[in-house]
Amino acid sequence: MLNFGRHCRCTALLLGMAVGMIFWAGPLSAMTVAFINPGKSDEVYWMTAARAMEAAARSLDIKLEVLYAERDHLRQVAFAQQLAARPPGQRPAYVIMSNDYAIGHELLRILDAAGIKTFFAFSNITEPRERSETRGPRERYRNWLGSLEPKAEEAGYLTARALIEQGRRAGAAARGADGKLHLIALAGDRSTTSSILRNDGMRRAVAEAPDVVLDQQVFAAWNRDKGAEQSAWLYQRHPAARLVWAGNDLMAFGAMKSWEQRVDSSGTGGKPGQDAWFSGINTSKEAMEAVQSGRLTALAGGHFIAGAWALVMLHDYDRGRDFAPDGMELQHSMFMLFSPADAARFQTRFGDLKFDHVDFRRFSKVLNPQIKMYDFNFRQLMQ
Amino acid sequence: MQHRSLHSITSKLIHRTLAWVMLCVLGFGAVQAWRTYHAIEKDFQLAVLAAAETHVPLISLAIWDIELQAIERQIKLLLQNPRIGYVSVRASTGQHFEGGQAGITSRSAPLKYDIPRPGKTPGSIGSLEITANDDALYQEILHSAGVVLLQCLLLTALILGMVVAILRRDLERPMRRLSAFVTSLQADNLDAPLALERPPGHVRDELDQMAEGFATLQARIHSHIALLDAQVLNRTRQLEQALSSLKIQSALDVLTGCFNRMLFNERFPAEMIRAQRYGRPLSVIFCDLDHFKTVNDTHGHLTGDRILSAMGACLRRELRTDIDWVTRYGGEEFVVVMPETPLAAACDIAERLRRDVMELVTAPLGDAPPLHVSASFGVAQQRSGESMEALVQRADEWLYAAKAGGRNQVQPALPAERLQALIEKRIEAPPKPPLNARMEPGAERVAAPL
Repeated sequence: MLNFGRHCRCTALLLGMAVGMIFWAGPLSAMTVAFINPGKSDEVYWMTAARAMEAAARSLDIKLEVLYAERDHLRQVAFAQQLAARPPGQRPAYVIMSNDYAIGHELLRILDAAGIKTFFAFSNITEPRERSETRGPRERYRNWLGSLEPKAEEAGYLTARALIEQGRRAGAAARGADGKLHLIALAGDRSTTSSILRNDGMRRAVAEAPDVVLDQQVFAAWNRDKGAEQSAWLYQRHPAARLVWAGNDLMAFGAMKSWEQRVDSSGTGGKPGQDAWFSGINTSKEAMEAVQSGRLTALAGGHFIAGAWALVMLHDYDRGRDFAPDGMELQHSMFMLFSPADAARFQTRFGDLKFDHVDFRRFSKVLNPQIKMYDFNFRQLMQ
Repeated sequence: MQHRSLHSITSKLIHRTLAWVMLCVLGFGAVQAWRTYHAIEKDFQLAVLAAAETHVPLISLAIWDIELQAIERQIKLLLQNPRIGYVSVRASTGQHFEGGQAGITSRSAPLKYDIPRPGKTPGSIGSLEITANDDALYQEILHSAGVVLLQCLLLTALILGMVVAILRRDLERPMRRLSAFVTSLQADNLDAPLALERPPGHVRDELDQMAEGFATLQARIHSHIALLDAQVLNRTRQLEQALSSLKIQSALDVLTGCFNRMLFNERFPAEMIRAQRYGRPLSVIFCDLDHFKTVNDTHGHLTGDRILSAMGACLRRELRTDIDWVTRYGGEEFVVVMPETPLAAACDIAERLRRDVMELVTAPLGDAPPLHVSASFGVAQQRSGESMEALVQRADEWLYAAKAGGRNQVQPALPAERLQALIEKRIEAPPKPPLNARMEPGAERVAAPL
C-alpha cells in the first residue's frame, strides 16, 4: 500500500513532469529572480545572506542573479533601471530588494513600470509619509507582492536579557555602589529601522529588570573603532557599568578591546567575560569564536536567512500558492540566541558559508502541502 | 610781465585745500581708528561670547554622545570666526581636542567656559577655552581705518577735481582772457569789446560784472576823449578865428579899412608872380586925394580923417570884392591891385572910381554943406619881367601926369571909342606918352592879353 502509494505518486509526478515539459518547459525550468544586494560583496552579513539565497535557489530550482550595490544607494537605482531596460525575455520575473537607505519607493516605481514583480526582504517600507505614497503591496504598485522582515526588536531583547541574566549570576562584583547592574549601550545609528528596533528590544529588557540601570546609550555607527573609542569614554564616565550591550558584533568587539586596554587601579587591563560582560548581534566567525571562548556573553543572529525564506515564498507564489492569506507584509522571528554549543554547531554546519546541505524544499507549502503556516526561525536549520 | 613768475589762484587754492584736507583726513583717520578699535574689541567680546553660547550646548551634546567628529566640527565652526585664534576642548574624562594656532597669545585673557552635561542632570563634562586672534583684530582696525581714509581721499579728490574744473572754466580762463585783453589794449582801439567767451548756458557772475564794468569804463573813457576832442577843436577854431582877426587887423589900416602898406609889400609880389606864371593881365591904380593938405589945414584933422575913411570905404565898395584889393599906400595915397584886368578895363574902373569919389566921398561940416573932394588916378598894367617897384613907379608916373594934367582925372586917359574897343577886346591899348619927362613914352606897351 505504501509502496503502491509511492509508486502512484512517482508515476503522477513523472507524468506531471512530462506534461510540464511539454507545456511548461520554458517557465518551469527558468523561474528567474534577481536580488539587489545593498551590501558589499565582501561584507560578511550580506555575503552570508546571498550564499543562503543561492543555496535556496539551487534547492528550489530557481535561477538567481545577485547584484551587489556595494552600499551605494544610487547603484541600487541603476541596477533597477538596468533590469527594467533588458529585453522582455531576459528580464527576471521577480526582484528581491531591501529598503536600505530608504530607496525602496524609487526601486518600486522603476520595476513596477517594467512589469517585474517585486518583494522586499530584510527591510520594508515603514516610514509613514512614504507609506502614504506607496500604499500597501498590490495596491498602487500592483507588482509589489509583499515583504518579509526579521523581528529586529527580538534580537535586541534576547541579547539584553541574556546579558542581564549573566550580570545577575556574577553577583556583587557586577553591581555598582547602589547595588544595581549598570548597563551601557552602543547603538548602530539613529535612523535605520532595524537599529531603532534593536534598541527598543534592549530597552524593553532593561525595563523588565528593576535592578538594571541604563547609564547611557551612544551611537557608534556599527563601527569597531568608534565602538572602542566611545566605550573608553563611557568606562570613565560611568565607572560602575559592567554590562555592555552592542547593536552588532563589531561594536561589541571595539568595546571589548578598549575594556582590555583600560588600566584600572590594580594596573592590569580588564577581562571581557570575567569582570565585564558584552553582547552582540550577527553570525560572524569571530563572534561565534568569541561566544565559544566566553568573551562574548550573548549573541543573537540568523536573520540573514530572510532572503532565502523570501525565495521559498516566491517559489510557492510562482506555483500558484500565494502567501497573501498569511499576510502580505510578514514579520517573523528569525533570530536565535547562540549558546557556546550553538556557536560550535553553527561553525561546523555553516562555518564556510555553505548552505547546500540545507534542503529548503521542506519549507515550501507547494512541495509540503501539510505546512499551513511558514516557520522561518533560524534554529530549525541548526538541527 | 613775462619775467615775473605767475602763481595761479587756482593752484594756490588747491594746494591750500589739499593740505588742510590731508590734515583733516589724518585726524579723522586717527579718531576713526581709535573708535573702531574700541568698537571692534567690544564687538569681539560679544561675538566670542555669542559663539561660545551657541557652541557650548552642541559641544556638550557631542561630548556626551561621544561624537568625536561632531566635536571637531564644532571646533572648526568656531575657528571660522577669524577673530578666534585657538580653541581647546577638554573632556572631563581626559580627552583633549584643539584647533587653530596652538600657543597663540592674546592681549585679552582666554575665555573659559564650563561644558555642562546635557539634559537636566547637573554636572560638568568638560571645558571650552577660546583664545582671541589679535592679528585679526588689528587687521580689522587697519581695514576699517583704511576704508575711512580711502573714502575721505576719494571724496577729496572728487571735490577738488570738480573745483579745479569749475575754477579753470569759470575763473582761470576768463581771467587769462581778461589779462590778455588788458595787455593788448591800445590807445587807438580803446573801445575794442572784451569777449570772455563763457560757455553756453552760463549764468551771469562776478566776472561778467567785471567785464560789464570794463565796458562801462571803456564807454566813459571814450565819451570823455570825444568831449576833449570837441573842446580842442572848438578852442582851435576860436584860436584860428582870433589869429585870423589878428592877422586881418595887423594887415588893415585902422582909419580907412583898407590893407596897409605892410600887407601890400607881402602880398603884391605873390600876385605879380602868379599873373606872370599864368600869363594873366595885372593892373594897378595909383590914387591920390587932391589938395588933401588944404583940407587938413582948413577943416582940421578930424574932417581929414573922415574924408580918408570915406575914401577907403568908397574904394572898397566899388571894387570886385573877391579879386581886387586896395591898400592905403601912404598919407592920402591908395593903390588898387586888380588881377585878371588889362589896362583898358583898369582905366575904365579908375574912371568910375573918380566919379564915385566926387559924388560919394564927403565930410560933414556942421551947418555948412558937406565937404566934397576929388582924386587923381594913375593906371599901369604889368609888363613881362617887370618888378613891383617898376610897376608901382609907372603907375605913380601916370598919377603925376594926372596931377599935372589938372587933377580929378585918370591917366592914361583913353578916347571913348578906344576905351570901348578895349572893353570889347578889339584893339590893343595905345601907348600914351606920359607928360612927365621921367617917363619913357616907348616903354608904355601893354600887350592885349586876349
